[in-house]
Amino acid sequence: MIRNGGTILFLNSIEQLLRRKIVLTAAIAAIAFLGLYWWGVSAASSAELHMGHGQADMAVDMLSPADAALAAIITAGPLAATLMTALIIVIGSTMLPEEIGQGRMPFWLSLPQTRLKVYLSIGLAPLAVSYVLSLILFGGIFIITMIYFPFTPKNIPLVFVSMLSWLTVVWAAVMLLSLVVKKIASMLIVFFLSAVATLFGGLYEMMQMFPGEAPKALETITYTIIYAFPADRGYRGVIYGLIPADAVITENLAFFGVTASIPSIHLIYAFLWSLVLLSIGYLKFRRMDF
Amino acid sequence: MEKDNLIRVLNVSKSFRKVQALSDFSLAVSPGTICSLLGPNGAGKTTFMKILLGLVGSDSGSVTIFDLPVSSPLSRRGVRYLPENVTFPSWATPAILFRQLERIRHESSVEEFRLRCTELECVDLMKRPLGKMSRGQRQRVALSLVTSGKPELVLLDEPSTGLDPGGRILVRNLIRKLASEGATVLINSHLLGEVERVCDTATFISGGRLIVEGKLDSLSRQTGLAHIETDNAEEMKLSLEERGYSCHIESKGVVAELEDPAAFRDMAQFILDTGIRFSGINQMRESLEDVFLRIMDNDSERGNDIVS
Repeated sequence: MIRNGGTILFLNSIEQLLRRKIVLTAAIAAIAFLGLYWWGVSAASSAELHMGHGQADMAVDMLSPADAALAAIITAGPLAATLMTALIIVIGSTMLPEEIGQGRMPFWLSLPQTRLKVYLSIGLAPLAVSYVLSLILFGGIFIITMIYFPFTPKNIPLVFVSMLSWLTVVWAAVMLLSLVVKKIASMLIVFFLSAVATLFGGLYEMMQMFPGEAPKALETITYTIIYAFPADRGYRGVIYGLIPADAVITENLAFFGVTASIPSIHLIYAFLWSLVLLSIGYLKFRRMDF
Repeated sequence: MEKDNLIRVLNVSKSFRKVQALSDFSLAVSPGTICSLLGPNGAGKTTFMKILLGLVGSDSGSVTIFDLPVSSPLSRRGVRYLPENVTFPSWATPAILFRQLERIRHESSVEEFRLRCTELECVDLMKRPLGKMSRGQRQRVALSLVTSGKPELVLLDEPSTGLDPGGRILVRNLIRKLASEGATVLINSHLLGEVERVCDTATFISGGRLIVEGKLDSLSRQTGLAHIETDNAEEMKLSLEERGYSCHIESKGVVAELEDPAAFRDMAQFILDTGIRFSGINQMRESLEDVFLRIMDNDSERGNDIVS
């Protein structure tokens, strides 16, 4: 009985989340985003280059379908990532506080469940919803790109794992903060951390391409930030896994941070980091009086 | 403390920062009784109830339900709790909520839930979203959800909140039925009239301490008022006033004041001697409200501050 209760609470939380306007808005935004992306990519695929005699053919020759696919993915990727980051921050920061604020938490805890099960069952729902929505969004980007610019993705399994790593870091941070500070504050802090991590994640990629070129202080700050809040590694893993394996202009796109590989240890570290934050959040939750 | 007590609380203390919510609190509750927790706001009643459910951890002392420490989730099997201000999602219907709870509890069936809804006259609300119900309707639905099945211990925090007089009667009937089915019911309520009508025992808490507990009958004292049931109210009043008693006519008779409650026998003898026909004479007892005020007055006279 106790074993099944956690699953029921989890499904209940999912149902509750799916009925929230913010999730519905994010889903509509994701569909609208994919619609616009489809429109843009289809237009790009049928565009004619108006240049001088012979130059158009040369330009078309330079740009293979894989390169076009790469350009499309790295343009759409950050926007999609911003949307999903915002979603998980908003729903992750409100899930537990709302259950507490609405007086439902004492009710759930009065059922014969352990606190850990209640914490995880309710807390995991935002991660699950965001993960599924991210898969749909990035999966949509991948399929639409494939239709117009056929290519072989670099590493699809990496996309699944990296996406989970990226979202888990953001989720674990916002869950913990929502138990410590007010939900608006937790949202702003994690959004700021995500933005800073993405910025320095890009710098980190460039430093990998040009080792020893960056000032020592900047290098130290960059390394500190990407390890202190390792969401960016997962996000880049998603993009890295999706991009075409046979694109020829990847080196020129180092600015977008898609050329370097993501070592598995970075993803493992991100998961462990999340686990630590999740544990601290649980310790806080376990000691809370309701 | 008897071994067969369903709830055993021993020397429990709890403070929230500088506020002492419970202090060296001990209580035992026997199975099948309807108990009330009474006290002013901030006395520690809700804290006590939450400690029983493990929602609030105690600083010291021991608390067991069914001989299990409340830290164990197993102690909450068969326990039902209705918090004072619970807000279920507005989109959810009673049927949806019951389905979820049924899966978690594996205890009650939809027929039992329907029966409870029938008892609380909310069976026609089964498919209506909670957001489209009045406060009283939501409270009746919540009570149906909480008490359906075969609960062994029911903790109700202000169960009659938001209910009209008809709804309160239904809740009283429900509580009596639960007790008749063997459940122990613990009620936290400020509606003393409701408590008086349904509870067996009362526990008075103030400033986080147990002031007094016992059966309602044993807690209320006889007052200095006597009620004489008679059809000859005017005649009876005149006779009593001639004797020096202060009295007035009430429905079905006369109410006379006694300077000393112990002088009731003398007055009864006087009434017999007058030869005026009467059908009954009773020394009136304190209402629960009187008991509450007396106990709290005595407590504050002893200089015990109430926790705010």
